Amino acid sequence: MSKTHRSEPSTRGFFGRIADHRLDYLYILPALGVMMLVIAYPIYYTVYLSFFRTPPSLAMQDKIFNGIDNYITILTAESFHEVTINTMVWTFWSTFMAMILGLGAALVLNREFVGRGVLRGLLLIPYVISAVAASYIWRWIYHSDFGVLGAILLQLGLIDDKLNLLDNVDLVLPSLIVVNVWKEFPFAMIMILAGLQTVPDQLLNAARVDGAGAFERFRHVTLPHLKGVLVITVLLLFVANLNHFTIPWIMTGGGPAGASDIWITQIYQIAFGRIRFGIASAYSVILFGVMVVIGYFYVKALTGDDDRRHG
Amino acid sequence: MFAIVAARPRRALAKMGALLASSAMILSGPVAAQSIDPEKWTPDYVRSIAGKTTVDTAAECAKAVPLDYEGQVDYWYVGPNEANPELEHKMYADFWAAWEETYPNIEVNAQNLGYNDMLNKLRTAALGNAAPDVARLPILWGSEFAAKGQLSELKPEDVGYDSANFWPGAMKSVSLNGKTWGIPTNNETMAFIWNAGIFEEAGLDPEKAPDTWAEVVEYSKQIKEKTGKAGYGLVARVNAGNTPFRFMPMVWGEGGGALDEASESPTYQDVWIGKEGTVRAVQNYYDMYVRDKSVPVSALTNTQTENQDPFLANQLAMVIAHPSEYATMLDRANKATGSDKEAAMAVVNNMRYGKIPAGQDRRAVVFGGSNVHIFNPDNVEGDLDMEAAKALVCFMTGPEWSTKLAWVSSNPGNTRGFETEWMKERLDTIKFLDVSTSMLPSGIPFPPVAESPEIMNIIIPEMLQNALTEKMTVEEAVADAEKKVKALLDGM
Repeated sequence: MSKTHRSEPSTRGFFGRIADHRLDYLYILPALGVMMLVIAYPIYYTVYLSFFRTPPSLAMQDKIFNGIDNYITILTAESFHEVTINTMVWTFWSTFMAMILGLGAALVLNREFVGRGVLRGLLLIPYVISAVAASYIWRWIYHSDFGVLGAILLQLGLIDDKLNLLDNVDLVLPSLIVVNVWKEFPFAMIMILAGLQTVPDQLLNAARVDGAGAFERFRHVTLPHLKGVLVITVLLLFVANLNHFTIPWIMTGGGPAGASDIWITQIYQIAFGRIRFGIASAYSVILFGVMVVIGYFYVKALTGDDDRRHG
Repeated sequence: MFAIVAARPRRALAKMGALLASSAMILSGPVAAQSIDPEKWTPDYVRSIAGKTTVDTAAECAKAVPLDYEGQVDYWYVGPNEANPELEHKMYADFWAAWEETYPNIEVNAQNLGYNDMLNKLRTAALGNAAPDVARLPILWGSEFAAKGQLSELKPEDVGYDSANFWPGAMKSVSLNGKTWGIPTNNETMAFIWNAGIFEEAGLDPEKAPDTWAEVVEYSKQIKEKTGKAGYGLVARVNAGNTPFRFMPMVWGEGGGALDEASESPTYQDVWIGKEGTVRAVQNYYDMYVRDKSVPVSALTNTQTENQDPFLANQLAMVIAHPSEYATMLDRANKATGSDKEAAMAVVNNMRYGKIPAGQDRRAVVFGGSNVHIFNPDNVEGDLDMEAAKALVCFMTGPEWSTKLAWVSSNPGNTRGFETEWMKERLDTIKFLDVSTSMLPSGIPFPPVAESPEIMNIIIPEMLQNALTEKMTVEEAVADAEKKVKALLDGM
């Protein structure tokens, strides 16, 4: 029945079309209800709360309407600019390095060699380890006084003093990015490996017959086929990194002196450290806006091929 | 009652007339007290008063709520978990057994919640009018609920006790806007702990703790230079209670503060963080971390937990910690194996406890502990049975159970507990308890205002990090913190 309706698009109005598809809508009604409850309402309430001042000394029902003051406070705060720069550095370099490493690992694993399965399993380990456990492990690896990394470098004579990574405002963010890249490059690797396996052998062989070298085959045959996968993987990693909380929070709590504070840790701290749900909501709405823009490109990337196919 | 008051001449006490006569019904100690003399409160004094009094908890609480009262009460608390010693579990089991025997007709629905979970659960429950009738909360938490009108007024006199029997610092922590919103259950202060072995290696007197914060800076430097080991276990992590608990004693000692919590009559309206005393305290931290490099490099991300390993490994000489630190270190040393165990036991044997050092202005320490509160009837689930709630509060804040429930890691909030046989037993079995207990009169509670968590856990640690990373000068960091605290109090 519903098939018939889809093949004969109605020219009736919005409600008329809903009436035509009432059975279809009935099927998705429970799911729609759950989504309204757990997604739509929290979004609505967060936006609503972002227009109120909620000092810790006031009960929530006594919150004070203050229009867009929370947004002005956030956007004009010096700390917002520092945290935004940290967020951009964190997100860009985490995504970029994970893609580069993931692409390299995928290209290696796409070839036949002895132990390929074992290597693939080993490279997946960081991805399957819990982010909380990984953060604690790396915190001890990096520890400024008793870290394994510092001890090894010291014994090798490569440094002559303690290796201070997490307690150093200049090195803390790059150090956290290394941990994040280690944790998520296997995701990029798997996605790209799956994409590589769709590249037709005939095309590669034809290019080889035509005298194309390895780099030219990669550039002119493999890469165009990977484009869709790469775009989607970049977008997924970008969103995941923009929202990533566990590693910076557990390893440094955003310190020292805010040097590893990013949007999401800042929002958490404002909400649950400072008990300012109004400002934290406004901050979340800003982050949500950024996500919506990225989400648009993500959906566009996903449907791009279909659009092209359908002319 | 008790010798904090015992210093007062008996003749003067006699003049208290009717007031004392009425309170004597409840206070069974030798003399009644109105104030605590810090100079008198020495380890010897703490020992001298223990075991002098017997207590009949049922008889005392019967005056507040009849023993045959029938009712029900929901109660949330942070109790022992699997990490706590067996003895603590036994004390809680004994408490509930004694409660059922005393008030057999009052049913208690008790929920033992984890420390890290309870605050947010309670906030959510109170917002949804589903708070418990009674909750025992860490000392800093209650003011937020009181400020929001989510607590009922509650003072010791409401359950038959005298406010004078509770530490003044503890009573400040349950006071807001001229009213009292709870009763202290237990109180403790931290102590200064050092490794006598490292002191000796560094050419310091192994049995003498630094008496001032200036000496701590000097000792730390000398230890680093002579032994290569870290001197003082500085901690400055943001969003960690460990940081203000160790830094504020130095600030108060040097004459500073966050608000005016260190003054005789605090209003919690004046901002003291910009005072010269705070600058001196931050400068002390700067000197140890940046100038002398005599403390762990990891101080900016450390809490006291991260200091335990280097201390036990004989690599760190001085820390500030709870009275229970000795038991914790001993427990960890016993779990070690081979040569590690031998080394750790040597460190435990070299552990010494002393008073928190004094600053240019005074000797001070953070006054810690817990308070019990009764929630506002509008915010609890169902009807609040006030009499049943008061019976439970009376039972746990009396001299007997405020001593026994604090057995391992704290002290009785009701100071009459110090005179009991149970306190004597604690002193005989818990090493260094007399030293840490003797710091109680120097205790200052954090400001009981809703903004306290933000000031103590975020603004002050950020001030330290700004100075220690040299993002700002010491003076700039203090001025920046002062600006933030003022903006916070102005409702920004």
